[in-house]
Amino acid sequence: MIAFIVRRLVTSFFVLLAATMVIFGLTSIAGDPLADLRELPGADGERRMADRIERMHLDDPVWLRYLNWLTGLFRGYLGVNRDGQDVGVMLGDALSATLQLVLAATVLAVVIGVCVGIISALRQYSSFDYGVTLAAFVCFSLPLFWVAVMLKQYIAISFNDWLRDPAIPPTVIVVLALIAGLIWAAIAIGDRKVKLIAFGAGAAITAVILTLLSVTGWFADPGIGLIGLAILAGGTAVGLSMLISGLQYRGPLYAALAAAGLGVLLSEILTPVLADPSWAEIFGLALATVIICIALGYGLGGLLRQQAITGAVLTGLITGGLIFVDRLLQSFASYSDMVRGRPISTIGAGTPNFKGDFWQTNLDSAGHLLLPSMALVLISLATYTRYSRSSMLEVMNLDYVRTARAKGLPERTVITKHAFRNGMIPITTLMAVDFASVIGGAVVTENVFGWQGMGTLFTTGLQQVDPAPVMAFFIVSGTAIVVFNMLADIVYAYLDPRIRLS
Amino acid sequence: MTISASASGAAQGMTVVARTQGQMVRRRFFRHRAALIGMFAFGFVILLAFSSIGFGPIPGWWDKTYLTTGSLVNQGRPTLSVVPEFLGGEGIHLGEHPFGQDNIGIDYFALTMRGAQQSIIVAFIVAIVATSVGTLAGAFAGYFRKKTESFIMRLTDVMITIPILIIAAIVGRTFGDSGIVILAICIGLVTWPMLGRLVRGEFLSLREKEFVEAARAVGTSASRIIFRHVLPNTVGVIIVSATLAVANAVLLESALSFLGVGVQPPDVSLGQLIDTYRSAMTTRPWLFWWPGVFIIAIALSINFIGDGLRDAFDPRQTRVRA
Amino acid sequence: MTTSPKEILRVEDLTVEFPTEDGVVHAVRGVSYALHEREVLGIVGESGSGKSVSSLAVMGLLPRGARVHGKILYRGDDVLKLPTRRRRALRGGKIAMIFQDPMTALNPVHTIGDQLAEAVLAHGLIPRKQALARAKEMLDLVGIPQAEQRLRSYPHEFSGGMRQRAMIAMAVINNPDVIIADEPTTALDVTVQAQILEKLLEVKDAVNAAIVLITHDLGVVAGIAHRVLVMYAGKPVEIGDTDSVFYRPRMPYTAGLLGSMPSLETSGGRLRPIGGAPPSLINLPPGCPFSPRCPLADATCTAEEPALGEAGEGGHLAACHHWRAVAEAPDPTALFHIESEAVS
Ligand SMILES: Nc1ncnc2c1ncn2[C@@H]1O[C@H](COP(=O)(O)OP(=O)(O)O)[C@@H](O)[C@H]1O
Ligand code: SF4
Ligand SMILES: [Mg+2]
Repeated sequence: MIAFIVRRLVTSFFVLLAATMVIFGLTSIAGDPLADLRELPGADGERRMADRIERMHLDDPVWLRYLNWLTGLFRGYLGVNRDGQDVGVMLGDALSATLQLVLAATVLAVVIGVCVGIISALRQYSSFDYGVTLAAFVCFSLPLFWVAVMLKQYIAISFNDWLRDPAIPPTVIVVLALIAGLIWAAIAIGDRKVKLIAFGAGAAITAVILTLLSVTGWFADPGIGLIGLAILAGGTAVGLSMLISGLQYRGPLYAALAAAGLGVLLSEILTPVLADPSWAEIFGLALATVIICIALGYGLGGLLRQQAITGAVLTGLITGGLIFVDRLLQSFASYSDMVRGRPISTIGAGTPNFKGDFWQTNLDSAGHLLLPSMALVLISLATYTRYSRSSMLEVMNLDYVRTARAKGLPERTVITKHAFRNGMIPITTLMAVDFASVIGGAVVTENVFGWQGMGTLFTTGLQQVDPAPVMAFFIVSGTAIVVFNMLADIVYAYLDPRIRLS
Repeated sequence: MTISASASGAAQGMTVVARTQGQMVRRRFFRHRAALIGMFAFGFVILLAFSSIGFGPIPGWWDKTYLTTGSLVNQGRPTLSVVPEFLGGEGIHLGEHPFGQDNIGIDYFALTMRGAQQSIIVAFIVAIVATSVGTLAGAFAGYFRKKTESFIMRLTDVMITIPILIIAAIVGRTFGDSGIVILAICIGLVTWPMLGRLVRGEFLSLREKEFVEAARAVGTSASRIIFRHVLPNTVGVIIVSATLAVANAVLLESALSFLGVGVQPPDVSLGQLIDTYRSAMTTRPWLFWWPGVFIIAIALSINFIGDGLRDAFDPRQTRVRA
Repeated sequence: MTTSPKEILRVEDLTVEFPTEDGVVHAVRGVSYALHEREVLGIVGESGSGKSVSSLAVMGLLPRGARVHGKILYRGDDVLKLPTRRRRALRGGKIAMIFQDPMTALNPVHTIGDQLAEAVLAHGLIPRKQALARAKEMLDLVGIPQAEQRLRSYPHEFSGGMRQRAMIAMAVINNPDVIIADEPTTALDVTVQAQILEKLLEVKDAVNAAIVLITHDLGVVAGIAHRVLVMYAGKPVEIGDTDSVFYRPRMPYTAGLLGSMPSLETSGGRLRPIGGAPPSLINLPPGCPFSPRCPLADATCTAEEPALGEAGEGGHLAACHHWRAVAEAPDPTALFHIESEAVS
């Protein structure tokens, strides 16, 4: 394992080195770095040209400039841009914004895409499957920048306007309820009667929830509330137990329910801690949750201890996540006031000079992240959906899945234990490839939403034939891609015992 | 000790399959409804783009060009109407400027058609170059192994570390001014690695097959084995990826042009149109809609065609229909 | 047969159809048989004759979309009508299956011990330790050395023969009444085929199970099966005691199978393969499905499909209009041409 990582790092180092050569060379010859100064009249222009020639060493050949940059890099110095600003400083601000965006988009795309893909595969040839397939094709064919501009223009601005008086018009409720009903019916298996019932239930539940949200003005001052929290956490516990061990076994179910109940209870008791926590405290709480849940699973699991621990830990973490979201939502109203009623932002990665408590600050980032990551997710989402669908379909037809069924395992176990893990093996490879394209996509998204992120570093640098910022962008993104690739390989080896990392 | 359904019977079966392979692929493709729709839609877009404003010296049937400015009619709003009169609309007609006009009065239909033409040309060149280079590189790597393979694979490693959009943007910035053909060739030259890896994978599995062994045993030359024996068997994979490469190239070109590092004036492309009129988005949204619709239509129809081809060449997953 | 043992499995008029894009595949067209306690029933036929599909139907393992009709009675209960949960309890519990290819039949990402223990746990909640102990016991039974360590191995660390042993262990781990072995030795090296077959019989006796032994190789069933069912194009075409079927075949196809089996007793060591290929199961021609390849075929044969009927003593049944002609032939295998002549 260690040997593998070291070897990988060494080869990756040389690969990156070769790539920097290519990029530095191409960027340096991509145009005239003095183009903007040539139009300046008189002595001022000439003086500034001379300045820039000296600063960028334009009299040296490209390879010498590259070596110069490289020696600087090994001393931890990223150079200056054409106007003499330190690129290292520029990068510092840009880095966290972009990494947030890229990670948020990747995580969301993987989780949602894999889930939808698997359901689609398990319901092959259902209308849900056809719907997802069609949607995936549309997503594949959408230009990212176009989607981003659309989201900015129509969703953000109209949504903010709507938030002033957040009532959902009855027609919209009806349409959304019908759509929800159709989705339920498409997922349900059974004859026409079952589908009709699913349709009715889905539509009715959606309509009731939306009406409630509308008349209570929920969107103006949202939150999950204690009752909502209890219902959601309990539902999570039951759902996970159903997936992991089946409801007929009490041990795991009770462990998960206990985890959920404890979480809900603690959310009340811990109110003072949660008023304005720090990230360290949040992580501490998460760690405590895991430990407590392991204990719960161990104690209550009985013969199904392993499953009980898994179920309890997952339930605990999801409950914790729900509490987190609840707190975020609770500070929505105050945050909305602070940004003059326009919480969904279309420009930048954060409100300039924003000062607020933990929740408000995070809400601010979330509000700025929302649209760019939505745009970015849309593209990878389709890829993950398609791949996990076909991967699952392929695995479900394999002999060992038939063997698992022949043993008399319930379909649940066949899917979660035998098909899922094998089906995910090719997805890890895909993640590595997709991550690079998400970084490329981030460049476009940042451009549309006016982020001062790494993408801007790259595009401006490229436009101005200024290698230093472009190289800074590449060093970070290239390293991220290499690390991500390595992680993907490690996960691959973990999932597939036939692969030995050495 | 097996009941061979007689060797001769099996052999007969083989030849029958071989003779009708092409027909089977064609039949399965034409059964794929989405692929057929995609093919008609794409055919329609090409026909519209190239016949309306003409191409090169050949004149088209549309009476306006993408260069002549004019006076703004009705603030440049689109005159296209598709709602019939009996439904309370204005009837079905094209009008003077079906897609509207830009801020200096250029007919936006002509401009969009010009953009579509150039986007399609760029996409095809990119796909053809990338597919040829990728196929050759993959074939050599997969067949020769050893030094050749490790060289080509290290090269693709380097290229894959750089996101496609990034490398294409750098190349686009350098060669964008040299016209769309040069630009497209250069983009093609940097986007082949994924396809190269795919072809190599196919070659690796095929080169172990008996017929390659047999060819090698009787002393067939390497190039003959590659081009005569192995490559034809990877044709399905290559055709499918080439098709999807066209769709991706349409999107890539438009993204580059949007970032200002793709097609440069006086050439126009769909992405570049969106970039040019980006600031007019709130006041003249149609300047943004039409090119977008055409990009989506082109990419979607090609993706459908690609899916149909994939099913046609590899029908594994469409066996049982419940 | 001295005292008639109890019947445990009875299949009645089983049909299986697959709707596909090219038309409906009639994979199984009316299979009936009965299996008694501790009996070995051989099912023989060319590849594609519906052997696997009919056994998968018994197990309830056919892909979604398959249409199954007829009756499958396990100790009198029609399993096709059982609720899902009871059907699942039967599967791997009372009726177990061994598949053809041990290389792909085991999940590559879980240990052998885990996959065996899981089979026990699927049919009763006991501590995992006990399930693993049972797994070890079974590995010992099928003759895998160092069973304790082997529980922690992954399938790719096993040879083909060892994997098939593990599959056998998995099949008998819950003391089944019926083991369906679908070509258990086909994918193995010739050298281990006999060992595996022997082990299978030994294990069957250890747990008192009956076996449905599926094979396309008559040699496999010869010394083992009590009775043999011959299938062609989805139908049983001959069924009877192994000796009757081997020495007194009543159906040209069976005779053809015997003739294409290399052995010293028949046809002086020369192979007499059956020419041609089995018919398409989508558009079956009228008449006997074997008629295009049958040396005895005449107008009756192409007009009317023969029904399975009495063709000898001891419940020997055959589906052939001219079974008497086969019966009267001094050497029925000689109805077919010798290999060199068969190439036409
Ligand atoms: N899922 C399926 N869809 C369509 N046809 C199938 C399917 N499974 C099996 N068949 C067809 O059913 C027939 C019988 O197959 P099978 O029972 O596997 O034969 P064998 O006697 O070799 O075990 C074959 O022609 C096969 O093509
Ligand atoms: S019925 Fe006719 S064709 Fe069929 S096996 Fe008997 S003799 Fe041959
Ligand atoms: Mg079979």
